[in-house]
Amino acid sequence: MPRPRYVFGEAWSIARTSPRQTAAAITLIALALYVPGLLALVSHNLSRLAAEETEDPASVVLTLDPQTDARAIATRLQADHRIQLVRIVSSDAALARFRRAYPDLGAALSDLKEAPFPPSIEVVLKPGAARTVSREIAAGARVWPGIESAESEEEFSRRFRDAIHLVRDAGLFLGAVLTLAAVLSVASAVRLALDLHREEVGIMRLMGATESAIRAPFWLYATSEGLVGGGLALGLLYATYRFAAHWLSRDPHPVLAVLWVGFLALPTQLLLPAAGAAAGLIGSLLSLGRRETRRATRLA
Amino acid sequence: MIQLFGVSKRYGTFRDALADISFRVEPGEFVFLTGPSGAGKSTLLRLLFMEETPTAGQIIVNGRNIGVLPQGQIPYLRRTMGVVFQDFKLIARKTIFENIAFVQNVLGLARVEQKRRAYQVLKRVGLHHLMNAYPDELSGGEQQRVAIARAIVNEPTLLLADEPTGNLDPVLAEEIMRLFVEINIRGTTVVVATHDLEMIRRTGKRTLILERGRLHDPDRVRESAPLVREAPFLPLH
Repeated sequence: MPRPRYVFGEAWSIARTSPRQTAAAITLIALALYVPGLLALVSHNLSRLAAEETEDPASVVLTLDPQTDARAIATRLQADHRIQLVRIVSSDAALARFRRAYPDLGAALSDLKEAPFPPSIEVVLKPGAARTVSREIAAGARVWPGIESAESEEEFSRRFRDAIHLVRDAGLFLGAVLTLAAVLSVASAVRLALDLHREEVGIMRLMGATESAIRAPFWLYATSEGLVGGGLALGLLYATYRFAAHWLSRDPHPVLAVLWVGFLALPTQLLLPAAGAAAGLIGSLLSLGRRETRRATRLA
Repeated sequence: MIQLFGVSKRYGTFRDALADISFRVEPGEFVFLTGPSGAGKSTLLRLLFMEETPTAGQIIVNGRNIGVLPQGQIPYLRRTMGVVFQDFKLIARKTIFENIAFVQNVLGLARVEQKRRAYQVLKRVGLHHLMNAYPDELSGGEQQRVAIARAIVNEPTLLLADEPTGNLDPVLAEEIMRLFVEINIRGTTVVVATHDLEMIRRTGKRTLILERGRLHDPDRVRESAPLVREAPFLPLH
């Protein structure tokens, strides 16, 4: 096995001999991971909203016009024998609930002149009620006066989950495409570095250096590139988050604020540099095939 | 030390770089490999240091059949060899010391041992005072001496040189050849490919002649040997 000091020294030497390519590869990796990171951050915050549980999960939610008599609607609903509980959620109660879910946004919403959330009524069905009941109740309530919208929570949850999945999938897709580009960029940076060091590598091989001793510095170089690129992406993402949070605290927006309420959890944060390192390693493995390396570094 | 049995090397379908080569080099021997350009001298050396594989035949180096040697074993056999090229192949951005030390680095030698060996070997070729110079600051002869120092720093049992004096004037060429003789006297088997017949005549060592990929009749080589041996030995210092 090659000595760590030798591997680190040579990897550093490789980075120094092709600084432009190194910088380009790091930038590309950073961008490749920043975009899916951003979408992961958005979907993370949306998921928090989806995961927010109330005492009894509502099956139907009726959004009311502010002038509507909520009690009259609630009484009408209670007449339905399939309903167990009807809960009136005023604008203030909705805001209070939002603040409980997103304590970080408390300051952002405190300066609002108008209540950001309309009053609503949540309907809890009796246990064992058929799945179609919530949709029937929502469909019936939609035509009542004073009802802005009536959504079966099942439908709403599905749409909401779909939206989160869409964001997540878009992140994964973009991430995959951009990471592939980053991998190829690392591969070409490594290939160029190999070309710049071809004599050295050829001499090392003739002097009896093993393949792992020859390649280890290139592997380390590419993995470090990826690690730095991933770290840079994380830094950029955090800077974006801080900027958005700061901007929203000055100019609050109830919907946008939801997307920037919290930063990624630590394991997800660590995923970015790890993914970068993996992309770097894969790129170097692609460009340092046994046959290709031998051909590229043939001396005589 | 080296045995070749019916070795051929073919590039493409028609071009035989080497055809049915057989010879033997004893341990501690000094052998010249000569012939016109394109005769196959470099190809033969490349086969010996395993940069190429033969199309047919067997090559035994240090008692090992290199044709059946697993890839993973090649580096370990190469550590018993040193190789010198016509164009020196020194790394311009490394100092003379680093040019020699970096090949030991990969073998896992301690830093102190690397320094000791590099200094000793540079002293042997008379360049220890230029350890911190860069290759560009050295003359052609000095650069070739550094290349030789690098080739022998791991104390190889076999030293292969491909036209080592090809880029040098006659005085420097003689200096370099003297170094090879010295190295050989210390017990290292030396194989030098050259087309400098004058040098061969003056050194008076056994010579293998290649022409169009074929080895000249060994009897003819033997016949010419007394003439060659009559040539005066180069002074060692």
